Amino acid sequence: MKTLKRMRKDLILYVMLLPGFIYFTIFHIIPIVNMKLAFEDYKIIGENTWAGMKHFNTLFSSPAFLDVLQNTIIISSMKIIFIFPIPIILSLLINELRFGPYRKFIQSISYLPHFLSWVVIAGIWITLLNPADGAINVIRNFFNLPSIDFMTSKEHIRWVLVFSEMWRSAGWDTILYIAAILKISPSLYEAAKMDGASTFQQMRYITLPAMVSTVITVFILNLGFFMNAGFDQVFNLMNDSVLSVIDILDTYVYRIGLMNGQYAYATAASLFKGVIGLILILGTHFISKKITGKGVW
Amino acid sequence: MRTFSVTKSIIQFVLFLFALAILIPLLNILAMSLSDPARVNELSGLGVLPKGFSFINYEIIFSNPLIIKSLLNSLFITIIGTLLNLFLTAMTAYVLARTEFVGKKFVLFVLIGIMVFEPSMITEYLLMKDLGLLNSYASVILYKAINVYYLFILMRFFQEIPDSIVEAARIDGAGHFRIFTSIILPLSKPALATMALFYGVYHWNEYFRATIYITDPNKWPLQVVLRQFVVSQDNMTMLQGIEGMRPELLASLDFGSLQSTTIVIAVIPMLLLYPLILKYFTKGTMDGGEKE
Repeated sequence: MKTLKRMRKDLILYVMLLPGFIYFTIFHIIPIVNMKLAFEDYKIIGENTWAGMKHFNTLFSSPAFLDVLQNTIIISSMKIIFIFPIPIILSLLINELRFGPYRKFIQSISYLPHFLSWVVIAGIWITLLNPADGAINVIRNFFNLPSIDFMTSKEHIRWVLVFSEMWRSAGWDTILYIAAILKISPSLYEAAKMDGASTFQQMRYITLPAMVSTVITVFILNLGFFMNAGFDQVFNLMNDSVLSVIDILDTYVYRIGLMNGQYAYATAASLFKGVIGLILILGTHFISKKITGKGVW
Repeated sequence: MRTFSVTKSIIQFVLFLFALAILIPLLNILAMSLSDPARVNELSGLGVLPKGFSFINYEIIFSNPLIIKSLLNSLFITIIGTLLNLFLTAMTAYVLARTEFVGKKFVLFVLIGIMVFEPSMITEYLLMKDLGLLNSYASVILYKAINVYYLFILMRFFQEIPDSIVEAARIDGAGHFRIFTSIILPLSKPALATMALFYGVYHWNEYFRATIYITDPNKWPLQVVLRQFVVSQDNMTMLQGIEGMRPELLASLDFGSLQSTTIVIAVIPMLLLYPLILKYFTKGTMDGGEKE
């Protein structure tokens, strides 16, 4: 009764929450509940019928799905191994610049690609990698190396994903690291300089240790999104010649679900990805809480 | 005393190369779009200055009715979408950040759940279909009416507003809605500007939902048309506006240059906002990312 009275007194709060509540219910919760479609057969007319684990059995015995799973893991791993250290190095370098126009210039330029859509970036990179006169092949030819058609080369396309992602996000991802660096007391550097520490020694013994907890948090956050592997990127850089090596879970769901209309089967693939993702995020959240005291949220 | 340091000079040079690696591809696209189509093949991939100078590519692209429509569509979706985002996010953030009520814990728990588990694009698509929203602007506007990450960032801003300011109004008998509109919102202008930029950039760059929800080309936003030109290499769509143009100009059409021109047009609004973005966005992300 007391609770009810309080709720009536706070009525305005519930009214203010109502639009958000309706939005989240319709556009988030209902589509999540509807993922039970993974256990059903989709019917255009009438109720869907129960199908049990049928779609999951098909999924795990399908070589196409296993290839896609493998691609997702390979691409995500390549990105973590080769991209993750770059913003750390960049922030250490930027930190060595004196505050002023040059530093501002470098930072402003480095954030820019983050604000471009993957459609735009795909357009830029297709031009950049053009076998006839793209910048990369112009440079290769200058060193007497033959031109490569990167976009249609199965050998190279995953590296295209790695480098274009690096181009887009390396600068932007320095923001959190630089914020951590700026919190370091300048007196530490003063003292180190007095003792004759070199620029490199200051980086190694003052700056880097101060960044460790941010580095761990960011790394763990990245692991949480491991199953994504960058849908927007692959979706825009994909073509028939390289599909087999860069088809990832989300592009597979898009193709079999939205293109071929196998809604239930595609939802099963989505649900599988979602559950693995959930385990990774929850797992990393609790590990992060233990190590750094900070969680993902 | 300033001393010359070899290490510092090397660092400055390395960062300069890094900036070039970002800038050259962008300037190359711009140079391509402004080059004389007859001479654009002389432009190297590393070139940043146009070969000859001509606005013909822009003339062709802007005479394409699909481009004009899509620009208007993008503006409409971005402006209406952002206003709706701001209103819903701010009102929800106020209630969650500054008030206590029965059920708050449960609401926060559900929000975290929403953050860590995304619905499938299939069930989202089927929902839009069931709601009859396919082929409507509403589909792309409503799909992300509140972003949970941004909601949490805004809640942190609101929490920082000192209680003393709100207390005075409460004593004067102001209700929650009054406090929200006449105290919290005016005090949060920088935070709201940050949010507007967050959401605005999102809407302007969104292409995927529009691709799957909107099949009528007249309702496509610019990014979908751009994708059609650049990723799907649909040259027929690109040349929709050329009927009635001077034939001598058409003789020297270059598809690559036309694609570059569309890219430039899609990027320009972002560049115009970029100084504001640098001012608010970077700070907002830092505040949001730093957790106690």
